[in-house]
Amino acid sequence: MPGKGFPAVKSKIYAIFFAVFLLPGCASLYPDGPPGAGDPAAMQSEALADDGPLKPIRVRRLTREPWNLELPSVAIVMTSSQPAYADVAVELAERLNNYVVYDLGDDSAPPVTVLRRINDSNSDVVVAIGLRAAQSSVAMADRPVVFSQVFNYQDHRLLTATSRGVAALPPLDAQVAAWKKIDPTVARVGVIIGEGHDALLQDARRAAERFDIELRVQISRSDQETLYYFRRMIRDIDGFWLFPDNRILSTRVLREMLADAKRQQVPVTVPSESMLPLGATLSISTVAADIARTIVKVIREIQGGNLDSIPPITQLSEIRVATNGAIQVVDR
Amino acid sequence: MKELLAKARGWIQSRFFNRDNPTGSKRVLVNEILSIQVLTAALFGGLAIASLYWGGQWVLQDNYGRWALQWTQELNELGSPLYLSDDEEAVIRLESFVERYPEIDRVSYYAKDGTTLFAVDNREELAEPQPLSQDRLESAKAVIGDKQPYVMESELLNPRQFEILAPVWTESIVGDGLFDYDAEGGEIPTRTELLGFVGIHLDFVLFHDRLLANIKGAVLILMVLLMIFAFYGRRALQNALTSISNLQEPIKELAKGNLGVKFSPAEHREISDIVEALETTATALSERDAKLLEMANHDSLTGLFNRRRFTEELKKEIISVMRKGHSSALLFVDLDQFKYINDACGHPAGDRLIRKVADELQRSVRHDDVVARFGGDEFAVLVRRTDIHGATSSAETILANMRRMAHIEDEHVFHVHCSIGMAMISGDNLHFDELINQADIACREAKAAGRNRLSIYERTEKVVKKDSADVGWMNRLRNAVDNDEFELRFQPINRIRTGETTHHEVLLRLRGENNTIVSPDAFLPSAMRFGLMTEIDFWMIENAAKAYSVYAVPARSLRLSINLSANAFENDDLVEHIQGCFEKYQVDAKDIIFEITESLAVRHPMHVERQIAALRDMGCRLALDDFGTGYSSFSYLQKLHFDYIKIDGTFVEDLVNNPVDQKMIKLIAEIGAEAGMETIAEYVQDADSLTLLEELGVDLAQGFFVGKPTKKPEHKSTPISLDSRRMRAPNFPQGN
Repeated sequence: MPGKGFPAVKSKIYAIFFAVFLLPGCASLYPDGPPGAGDPAAMQSEALADDGPLKPIRVRRLTREPWNLELPSVAIVMTSSQPAYADVAVELAERLNNYVVYDLGDDSAPPVTVLRRINDSNSDVVVAIGLRAAQSSVAMADRPVVFSQVFNYQDHRLLTATSRGVAALPPLDAQVAAWKKIDPTVARVGVIIGEGHDALLQDARRAAERFDIELRVQISRSDQETLYYFRRMIRDIDGFWLFPDNRILSTRVLREMLADAKRQQVPVTVPSESMLPLGATLSISTVAADIARTIVKVIREIQGGNLDSIPPITQLSEIRVATNGAIQVVDR
Repeated sequence: MKELLAKARGWIQSRFFNRDNPTGSKRVLVNEILSIQVLTAALFGGLAIASLYWGGQWVLQDNYGRWALQWTQELNELGSPLYLSDDEEAVIRLESFVERYPEIDRVSYYAKDGTTLFAVDNREELAEPQPLSQDRLESAKAVIGDKQPYVMESELLNPRQFEILAPVWTESIVGDGLFDYDAEGGEIPTRTELLGFVGIHLDFVLFHDRLLANIKGAVLILMVLLMIFAFYGRRALQNALTSISNLQEPIKELAKGNLGVKFSPAEHREISDIVEALETTATALSERDAKLLEMANHDSLTGLFNRRRFTEELKKEIISVMRKGHSSALLFVDLDQFKYINDACGHPAGDRLIRKVADELQRSVRHDDVVARFGGDEFAVLVRRTDIHGATSSAETILANMRRMAHIEDEHVFHVHCSIGMAMISGDNLHFDELINQADIACREAKAAGRNRLSIYERTEKVVKKDSADVGWMNRLRNAVDNDEFELRFQPINRIRTGETTHHEVLLRLRGENNTIVSPDAFLPSAMRFGLMTEIDFWMIENAAKAYSVYAVPARSLRLSINLSANAFENDDLVEHIQGCFEKYQVDAKDIIFEITESLAVRHPMHVERQIAALRDMGCRLALDDFGTGYSSFSYLQKLHFDYIKIDGTFVEDLVNNPVDQKMIKLIAEIGAEAGMETIAEYVQDADSLTLLEELGVDLAQGFFVGKPTKKPEHKSTPISLDSRRMRAPNFPQGN
């Protein structure tokens, strides 16, 4: 089935192709800057050199945030010190002068105590990273909360009058664009997702249509159902887009899905690089610095008193693409 | 178990392998080995089939378990939409799944409380599905999350059918676990939600039937193989055991004594070893037989034929004479004075001489003539196909060669001559026993005629008569010894000077027909001739001892004088026999005097000396009988220390009228007196002789005048002469 998947043996060839030809193309997808990008000049990627070597490149801040002096005091609450949360906290801390970091995973104090301290502190804004931190902060903080790294925020009613979120996924159209660049033959992509993500699905369909991709969506209510639908649809698709909906995924089902996809040579795009070893072909994930920058942007809006004008979820602008053998960062 | 196996083996053997042997008395090796093999093969075949069955069962059970796991997972997945949505396609998929597996009788989905939600049947005759019991619910709940998340049940007696009950549940990753998903890390927390249960009823009858069909096929194949194996094995075993079968006949022949039997060479090493051993045994037996035959036919000292074999040859020759009409001769050769050399130089010297004589005899006859040793110094020669002249010539040759032969022993040169008796084997003289007797008689005649000569047996009327008489005497004497038909007589021997009886000579008599008494002169020659003297002497010693025990009384002592023949004296058992008799009848040895003849003393001086010494040690006394008729060797008198010298009766018979006899008796009496021996004169018939004997110095007298032999010892004094009375009574007036 030519052009349908990414066999492991081809991954390196694709990575070279991706690094030399596609990534410059991805960067040029948005010549005027991505929608919602508030500070396009703030970041610059070293990975975009035309003749640069194919190796992971870390993003570093080239200039200090010009508005730092004006930023309010921030309380950063992490669900745990897992890299997915800690990296964001670190990037965020680099952009703030006055902040305090709380880790709910170290068990030094229960969330109630942590939030009570925050409420007693002079922090102006609470930044919650991860579901647990967001749940506690939204429930108990008496000041504006900005949460990130939460996918099912609707289920947990995290959007309130004083809380706003940062998208858990990288921009969907950028994801589709990158995927299409890597595998131009992809035409039918399957998606299985839990209930309550209508907006997300709408954006996804739109992005897919833009690149002539048919999106086949199935709403699932359990991991068994997910597997059942996946096995039904896998013969009819040439790519599967996995969203990090924990409600309909279990470790077993995730492994079986990826194993089946590998057997059927159906490429699967996953939201985390850690899933690549299970058989996924491509991972398109968020960039911690992008998340931090977006959070800072929301904080500034809050600081400016424009809370009501801030969208419930602020989209990110960068994607992190990795194949089985290489990781690259695309800066828009 | 062993008995069972033995019975089974016996049964198989009797049923299948004993057809050729209806009596069943002997077990057949081939059949027995084959029956063991067939039985063993059947046993292992049975075990193999049983193993096959149980192994197949085990494999099926194992596969059932694997299938159960797979089906449970698939049905779990297929059933989830039924709980969560009304997906009609899910039902179709489920039905299609069930149809795919004929082993699945029914798939039932249950709610959390065990009530039946949905069931798909593969068979129509199944009963309505029943709600799950609480126990089954609990057991099914307990396996949620296990590696084998199902409960499998089957009936003990029906292992083909299974009931599988598995929980249907969902899992989800807790929180936003996918953000920090770590494929290499530990367990990711998940949340479990029970949706219901799925029950699967399985019937593996198809597999079982197939397994049983295969096993039946295997049994059939095994039976066929066993039959082929039995038939082929029997032939193969028979071929393999041919070497043993081939041994049967030769071994039977060997058992019959046929030592020349030939064994077929065996192909197998083991049998070849047995054949070799049997051949060795046959050879050894053959050699032993030959040796035994050699010993049975030959004289061990000389290697010549012995008497038995010679007799066979003689018989053959007699038959040959009868058929072909020619004549042959039998020579009986007896060495002269051989016993003298034997006694003088010992038995080894005698043996050497005998061997030398045997060689000489062999050299002296023709090649096809037969020489044999009959024993002692007696030889026999069969001169084949010859007339009387040729036989005489052969005998003369032997005599001449023997005369020339000198035997050196201990620096002494001995010339051993022989006497030969010859009997012709011709048409009118064909009985081998008679022939030997004739030759023996002729030989004795040659000896009697002066030895070192040939005597030819002539069948004169007189000789025939005498021979007949001899043979008759032989039988009669044998009976007399065996039946105690001899009688003893006691003749007194008195001292001349006093007239008193000093002792009695024991005399032998034979009771003849019509109650007549036969004197020894009539039968002793025959007894000596046929070798019965030793037995007669032994009889006489025992009966004399018995008489002593009867007649010896404390008031009057009894002394007996017993004659011993040369044959008895040569017998090594003589002294032992005497001792036995003396002990048996409590005889005082000093009351017994043994008489031996002068010729005996001269012929066997060394042997006589030993025997005399032994008798003297016992206390017996000795008398030299018939002195003066033979050698009259005075040196022996001195050497052997006799107590009495008995002067032969020929000197006494005409003593009164013969001055030579008087001089001789006087001389003997003087020598006896000088040597410390008393002299006894025999055959004293009258008073004049008695008187003269006293004058000549003789001490004792015996004869009819002194006393006739009586049945009991009698003490009768003889009249003494006037001189004697004067000598005994000093006051008696002396005559001039």
